[in-house]
Amino acid sequence: MNRRTEAAKSWERTWQDDAVSPDETSSGKKIVSAESILGLERALPDSDAGTRRQTTLRLSVPLWFAFWVAATLFFSSSSASAQKFRPDDPISKDEDSLNVPDPKSAGVADYYDFLENTFFGPGDKRHIRALNVNTLGEVPDSNWFTNRHGRKEMTIEQLVQGPDRGGPSQEKKWQVIRNKLGGITPGFRIVDGTGTTYQLKFDPLSNPEMATSAEVICTKFFYAIGYFVAEDYLVSFARDDIELSPKAQFVDLTGKRRPMTAKDVDEILSRAFKGKDGRYRAVASKFIEGTPMGEYRYYGTRPDDPNDIFPHEHRRELRGLRVFSAWLNHDDSRSVNTFDTLVKQDGNQFIRHYLFDFGSTLGSASLFAQKPRAGNEYLWEPGPTFKSLFSLGLWVRPWIRVDYPNYPSIGNFEADFFQPEKWKPEYPNPAFNNLTNEDAFWAAKVVMAFSDDQVRAIVKTGRLSDSGAEAYLTETLIKRRDKVGRFWLNQLNPLDQFGVDGNALLFDNAAVRLLKGVPAADSYQAQWHRFDNYKQTQEPIGGKITAKERRLDIPSAAFEGPSDGAGHYALAEITTQSSHYPSWARPLRVYLRKNGTNVSVVGIERE
Amino acid sequence: MLHALIAFLVLLAATIFPSTAGAQDAPLTRQQEWLRQREAKSKSLKPYKPGSLEAGTLYVQKEKLLERFAEGWKGIHPKLGGLSTGSGFAGGIRYAPRIADGQLDFQTSGAISPKVYQFYDLKLGAPKLLGGKLVTEFYSRYRSYPQEDFFGLGPSSRTQDRTNYALEDSLFDISLGWNWTRWFRTGVTAGHLKTNIGRGTDNRFPTTESVFSPAALSELAQQPSYNHLDALLRVDYRDEPLNPHSGGKYQLLYSYYDDQKLGRYSFRRLDAEVQQHFPFLRKKRVISFRALASLSDTNPGQSIPFYMMQEVGGADSLRGYREFRFRDRNLLVMNLEYLWEAFSGLDMAIFGDAGKVASRRRDINLKDLESDVGVGFRFNSIKSVFLRVDIGFSQEGTRFFFKFGPAF
Repeated sequence: MNRRTEAAKSWERTWQDDAVSPDETSSGKKIVSAESILGLERALPDSDAGTRRQTTLRLSVPLWFAFWVAATLFFSSSSASAQKFRPDDPISKDEDSLNVPDPKSAGVADYYDFLENTFFGPGDKRHIRALNVNTLGEVPDSNWFTNRHGRKEMTIEQLVQGPDRGGPSQEKKWQVIRNKLGGITPGFRIVDGTGTTYQLKFDPLSNPEMATSAEVICTKFFYAIGYFVAEDYLVSFARDDIELSPKAQFVDLTGKRRPMTAKDVDEILSRAFKGKDGRYRAVASKFIEGTPMGEYRYYGTRPDDPNDIFPHEHRRELRGLRVFSAWLNHDDSRSVNTFDTLVKQDGNQFIRHYLFDFGSTLGSASLFAQKPRAGNEYLWEPGPTFKSLFSLGLWVRPWIRVDYPNYPSIGNFEADFFQPEKWKPEYPNPAFNNLTNEDAFWAAKVVMAFSDDQVRAIVKTGRLSDSGAEAYLTETLIKRRDKVGRFWLNQLNPLDQFGVDGNALLFDNAAVRLLKGVPAADSYQAQWHRFDNYKQTQEPIGGKITAKERRLDIPSAAFEGPSDGAGHYALAEITTQSSHYPSWARPLRVYLRKNGTNVSVVGIERE
Repeated sequence: MLHALIAFLVLLAATIFPSTAGAQDAPLTRQQEWLRQREAKSKSLKPYKPGSLEAGTLYVQKEKLLERFAEGWKGIHPKLGGLSTGSGFAGGIRYAPRIADGQLDFQTSGAISPKVYQFYDLKLGAPKLLGGKLVTEFYSRYRSYPQEDFFGLGPSSRTQDRTNYALEDSLFDISLGWNWTRWFRTGVTAGHLKTNIGRGTDNRFPTTESVFSPAALSELAQQPSYNHLDALLRVDYRDEPLNPHSGGKYQLLYSYYDDQKLGRYSFRRLDAEVQQHFPFLRKKRVISFRALASLSDTNPGQSIPFYMMQEVGGADSLRGYREFRFRDRNLLVMNLEYLWEAFSGLDMAIFGDAGKVASRRRDINLKDLESDVGVGFRFNSIKSVFLRVDIGFSQEGTRFFFKFGPAF
């Protein structure tokens, strides 16, 4: 744990650029060696050690002073060490596909994961900015995340298609090759006519269509958000459409293998809901490409993966997953439902990180309707436990009183009681616990990028036969989406979409743009600075200015600071005045870079 | 002077050096910086090494030790506890192979405790005949309990009269049951029961025959063997029988025991049980009520051996009293519990019990009931209570009970 904490601290220093960087360390070594180059030690009298130390001290004072001054001058102007913005900032892609020579599959123990996260609180808990974001506070594309709907609006067709690229062929009978291992839903593996392997999962008898629709719908959402997910297809088949492969194996709970029989298949199907037409409805999950490498933890890094340099609890897409999971009630968002796979590409092999198994999302808990506790309280949480215990049950958990409409195909899912900031997964998640307002702002904007029609279209992919249930699910998701946006977009200064037009800085207000009924800001106050990218110092230009419009004129003296070779920098510190949302007055810093005549936004920081 | 000159030269160089350094070293890009970090890490790659606790948990999970433990080895399972209260922690084995693809239920087990309580049984059943409607079963049991408590008969028996005796019996039963619906069952059982008692082996207390004379308890001298016939009527619509939070159970059991050996101890018995669970706040709070009544009757000249009488006291009836504290021909027990969920794995309970025994049927009423109150902890899953800790308080003191199952 200490090792992980040190790694996190190291990365925080790197981000803040206010401490000694690796380059500086090497420079420091040069100075030490310069002493011997100058032959000072050899010039000292060869007497006993005590005298030698004393002599060294006496003789070295003026020289050490000279070296100190020299070093200060050196570091203050050293090119690569202390600059806040690098020439390629802001980056849009993290090139994290370095060859992973010899990765080892490392599983996560289910019960240990619960115990560790519930009682020991692993990971670095410092309240720091996410470490893998670019200077605009965005998540670069990587083997963890690909910006999709949040960066560029996807079409309805793209959203509905999600990660799917075809689905199992039903031209030939499916060959059942094995029963499903792991997880709690009944199922088995099949190979279709093209030789592709899928895992079939079914709905519980009590809640037809519930688990399968939740799985498919949330796969589409999480894909559009940007995560790597498996291809999931809703399929329908009759008993006659499948047959047992001659090599089919049945693996029992103890791991013992034996030839699978038709009776085994029938027994599994007896626990699955069968429609009036005699057909079974299932989710066919395509096997993820690559070699399985176990699950990832929501803290620390994989020690066998050179690309994995940001502690997971400080990755924005994992912190922000809490916001997405709250929206979609993905209460099972824990390590066992992640998947690392070794991908080979262009002669390299590297690890890609997936989210896995969305059976316990929306109102579904896979085998039954979601429990009202889910999303509202951890499996074990001391506060409510002791309150309930010592009050003899007279204190009642608020979520117990929540009513849910009776839609078996949806389970227990609602929006009225839902509080996005208080939502919880099954047990504490180190990355979720580190969620900052800035992380949540980023995630909430992605959530709000889904329009009503887009939500409706994705819900339709769940193929719910009850149109009332489908309408309710859509309406609930829209309400929850709006609650997510309304809360998280208003925790800080919500200005965004910064751009430069001539001599003006233009921007928008995400809360006003994305939320219904949010009044525009009363005014915007800005203080311009010249910014020295090396020294990371700022020098004010004039006084504060106030604007009524979403436009700030850039002072002509803004870019008169020193150049770092990539350009000159200016900084605008902006607060937003609103009588309705005091939190909008929290400072926001926008950094501009001027290179020739081109001025661009290079950095955004929110408090 | 030399040092001053060197210092001057160093400072001069330093003022010149920055501009040249800036010109020579191009700034690192963000990608280069991150690449450097990755390259540095790639020099010290190593597989993830879990701590000992995590490694142990992983091993248990990977080797499926819990599943294997539950599954047993070739049908052989450990048998833990389950004997009479006070026997000490018993251990043994149970053999339950899978036969006829689950159509036949065969089980046999044996267990022994530190106090040499012994239990052996064998069951062969066909639980799924006619689509699960018809249930047939043969059951045989032998048990030897050498330190069973006896305080005397009737409600006024005294704790200081505690004695112990050895109980030994053999049972052979055949049962037929018909499941009319999922919640309604009728059935009959016919069987033979051979009983025997002897000196108790608990030296802390006198043996029963040393305190109670054969004149008062003639069964101390000779013990009967019975043929018996039972008839069952049961409505059970509890949500989870092993951890009920809603629903109810209503059961009538009529038994006739015919003394084949001595012809002096034949009797009839009617056992009635009513239990109802009233949930509220989404089953996070439950008020449960259970009433048990057992009425026994004999023909003139017949009696009931004390060890065949119903008893009151202990983990399943009056929890502020010892097991077997009261015995007689008839009994009445009532339990009221208020359950509330502390968290999803623990229900708390406050309970009150009341009950009595009586030799005459007309004395089974609500007068002069023994009573207790207590608090309980039920560690549970949705399906079952896997550990119940009840602490009962009565005029006879405080009792602690650790049980692997629900109170009722």
